[in-house]
Amino acid sequence: MNENELSGNELSGSEQLCLEIKKAYPEFRMEVALQVNRGEIFSLVGPSGCGKTTLLRLIAGLEQPDHGVIILDGREITNLPPAQRRVGLVFQDYALFPHLTVAGNIEYGLKVQHLPAPARRQRLAELLALFSLEGLAHRQIQHLSGGEKQRVALARALAPKPLLLLLDEPFSALDYSLRQRLRQELKKLQAKLGFTAIFVTHQQEEALSFGGRLGVMENGRLVQTGTAEEVYENPATPFVAGFLGEANLLPCSVEEGEGRARVRLEGDGCFELPLQEDLPPGTYLLMVRPEDLSPGPVLAWRVTGKIETLEYLGSGYRLEVRCGAGVIRAFIAKKYRNLREGDQITLGFDPRQIRLFPVSPQNSSGPSVPVDNSPGI
Amino acid sequence: MKSGNRVKDGNYDDVRSRVFARARGEKRPPAGGLIRACREHSRPHAREKWHADRNPVYLLLLLLFYLPVLSLLVKVFFGAGFWQELTGFLRSKLFWNTLSFSCRQALYSAGFSLLLALPGAYFFGRFAFPGKRLLRSAMVLPFMLPGILVVLGMVVFYGNNGVLNHWLTLLFPDRGWRFTGLYGFWGIILAHVFYNFTFCLRLTGEAWERINPTLHEASALLGAGPFYTWRRITLPLMAPTLLYLFLLVFLYSFFSFTVVLVLGGYLYKTFEVLIYIEYSSRLRFARAALIAIVQLLLLAGLLYLQALSGRRRRREGLFAGTLPALKFRDYPGRTILFLFYLVFTGFFFFSPLAAVVARSFFSRGLSGGLPVLENYRLLLTDGFRFAVGRSFLSVITTSTGLAVTVSVVAVSLAYYLARLRRDRPWGKADLWLQLPLGVSFVTFSSGLFMLAGKVLPSVVLILWAQLFLAFPLIYSMLRTARRELGEPLLEAAALLGATPARILQTVELPLMRPALSTAAAYAAAFSLGDLAAVLMLGRGRVVTLSVAIYRLIGHYRFPQAIALGTIFILISLLLFLLMEGRSRPRLQDIFPRPEEAEEE
Repeated sequence: MNENELSGNELSGSEQLCLEIKKAYPEFRMEVALQVNRGEIFSLVGPSGCGKTTLLRLIAGLEQPDHGVIILDGREITNLPPAQRRVGLVFQDYALFPHLTVAGNIEYGLKVQHLPAPARRQRLAELLALFSLEGLAHRQIQHLSGGEKQRVALARALAPKPLLLLLDEPFSALDYSLRQRLRQELKKLQAKLGFTAIFVTHQQEEALSFGGRLGVMENGRLVQTGTAEEVYENPATPFVAGFLGEANLLPCSVEEGEGRARVRLEGDGCFELPLQEDLPPGTYLLMVRPEDLSPGPVLAWRVTGKIETLEYLGSGYRLEVRCGAGVIRAFIAKKYRNLREGDQITLGFDPRQIRLFPVSPQNSSGPSVPVDNSPGI
Repeated sequence: MKSGNRVKDGNYDDVRSRVFARARGEKRPPAGGLIRACREHSRPHAREKWHADRNPVYLLLLLLFYLPVLSLLVKVFFGAGFWQELTGFLRSKLFWNTLSFSCRQALYSAGFSLLLALPGAYFFGRFAFPGKRLLRSAMVLPFMLPGILVVLGMVVFYGNNGVLNHWLTLLFPDRGWRFTGLYGFWGIILAHVFYNFTFCLRLTGEAWERINPTLHEASALLGAGPFYTWRRITLPLMAPTLLYLFLLVFLYSFFSFTVVLVLGGYLYKTFEVLIYIEYSSRLRFARAALIAIVQLLLLAGLLYLQALSGRRRRREGLFAGTLPALKFRDYPGRTILFLFYLVFTGFFFFSPLAAVVARSFFSRGLSGGLPVLENYRLLLTDGFRFAVGRSFLSVITTSTGLAVTVSVVAVSLAYYLARLRRDRPWGKADLWLQLPLGVSFVTFSSGLFMLAGKVLPSVVLILWAQLFLAFPLIYSMLRTARRELGEPLLEAAALLGATPARILQTVELPLMRPALSTAAAYAAAFSLGDLAAVLMLGRGRVVTLSVAIYRLIGHYRFPQAIALGTIFILISLLLFLLMEGRSRPRLQDIFPRPEEAEEE
């Protein structure tokens, strides 16, 4: 294996990407500040049309920002043409050259670099071996499967040793099992070669699975960045909470009284918390994840309601319970198999697992407030 | 598996279509209901075969199309001294001169047409801009223009006493600059490029548009510059289209008739012109037939090459996304270049036609003074009758009568067959109806004259020939349109209780009207523009607009020719608007691609 060759200085991740750019589009205004650390896969996640691909195109130089700066490996590349940026891009539809063979596609960038023929052949052989494409070198692109095309696209993008690899939803056209397998392969490859990459996806599962840092985009803005765990557990806005995983967002109000804050859940009673400076009285959205709800009156914070729908998921059940504050979704264990639709159920939750998002008339997605760990009840 | 056996495997699609076919009142429905239909259906294509191969209309058309060619072949091959004649001709200087000239002018015509089209194709293929659709539609216009009108426009604008030379004298009085090459090699090429470059532009633009822009982006990100990307990515992907078009234009120019007949004089001849001269001027019918056979063989070879290149076009991409808008703010350099290109090509393309129209309003064909209708008045004088041999009214009546008849007959027959074969893929039966495209019109006309010249009146012979000329394209258009219409709407109407006649009247014909109008307009345009058949089969007695202009040019009566040409332009424009108002013509219908033909 010649991955040492591949993971030379250019790919080993001594660089990092820093950018702060603004660009106005008819649909939205992009305003992003981002830093990608060397040797990491940074996942960029967000709903369709939020500007993920556009951000990649701006980094690649396929579009120009109105204002701002992009620095790659300590060098400003904001005004450089794409050909001079040393950025690799794996397109969503792969954009493989249909008139060239697998080998022709992979060595295209090497030919552009005027690499001598022996060196080019050697590198081609390395890449073919690395991506298990040896037997397909002379095959036409239209005769490849989806997974093979994806591997060729990745090999082609890595061939000229880019400083940054951009992956624009590269698995979106593949079926579920192949997607999972290729995701694992990509992780292993990145661990071997240590390249820096930005992986764009609209699937939360994909973004979380890489385990590295991720950023959530909404309407052209990066609303939160952090490790997968940080973002999942402490979403900055109701949008992030709802986009990464499922979240119950229940309207509530916080009142002050006798040294404690009182959280009043509409129609479902009142819970008390120690007073916090960043929890002023007002209207909030209470966020609790469905998996953090459990049946039974054991926990002090609880809501009671009627089961409207009950779905068997194999690993457990998914419930929709109508309570005073609205419909609450919950994932519960298999042992509650006796439950039926129409039954009354009490769902309890730990106040340490909840988030409170202040609601203001202008902006309903303000920063969330973590609740003090001491229940105070 | 053939569709006829599907019922055995539980697929009811075809049975359903049979049942609905009966509901639509087609002939010979399977008696005995669904079960009988199923049983009948297990016999592969029994009914369809009858439809395709034994239908009297289909057989009659094959007879009409192929009998004249066959009679020509028989007459030549079984004539006395055929081989001596053939070898003598193939060794003659005339053959080699004609072949050499035909090849050279066709090469130049094809090369220049593509060269002129490529810059425009870039803008059409890579950008969106206001009026793009309209411009694309207008690119069909040259195809609608009769050859003689193009020649007239060329003479009026680029001729020795044409507008261009008039301008050159006015602008550079001391330099003595004049363009005198119209009546010769370069004039023929100029006319061919005028004729062909717009559809080259349209097809190359469409091919460029189908290439996914991400391929260019991928190439740029891999470090390639624009020229390298063009050379390694764009050009190879467009090469099949370019080759296809090159051969197509080569083919058209190689067998050019009207342009070479008028502009070539005695010096330059294509095989088409040679056949016509042998046939009409020297009355050597056997010799004309022999040359026609040689040309038929040459044409078969070229068509084979062209079909091969058409097959390769499959490799192109299928991108159908949104293109960036060509705005001065975003692409200042390219916007200016595009505007320059539009002005240049617009000048090249519209000036000759505009010159014809403008000059028709000035006495003696020269601009100056106030516009008058003198030239149009001359159309009604004896001078016109003397030069043309018929009165103006007679010319108009004959032309429109022929055009309407050809249009009605061709469209009716083509639609009848298209409807009959609506649920069949393109197959051999369709190919037989398309093959007349591969026979030169002069060859067909000479064959037809030998077959029935002494029996049938000239008008009938001309109608026969023009039907042969128009049918392949008309059939191709209607066949595609009828197949695309599909059956669900008609089935819905049948289920709602509509009778077959009512379905035809209220659903099918209204939906097919755009295609029918377009087909009718094309058929009329072909008939109006035809010069060869009327010259060869009319025996001087039938005079159409094209022939009238040809004779007026021959008699140097340019004022009348220009006035008549303007009327002709107006008619062509009306036909074009009729097509555009109804539907957008598909270029693949005009130039059917060989890969669309599938084996049955």
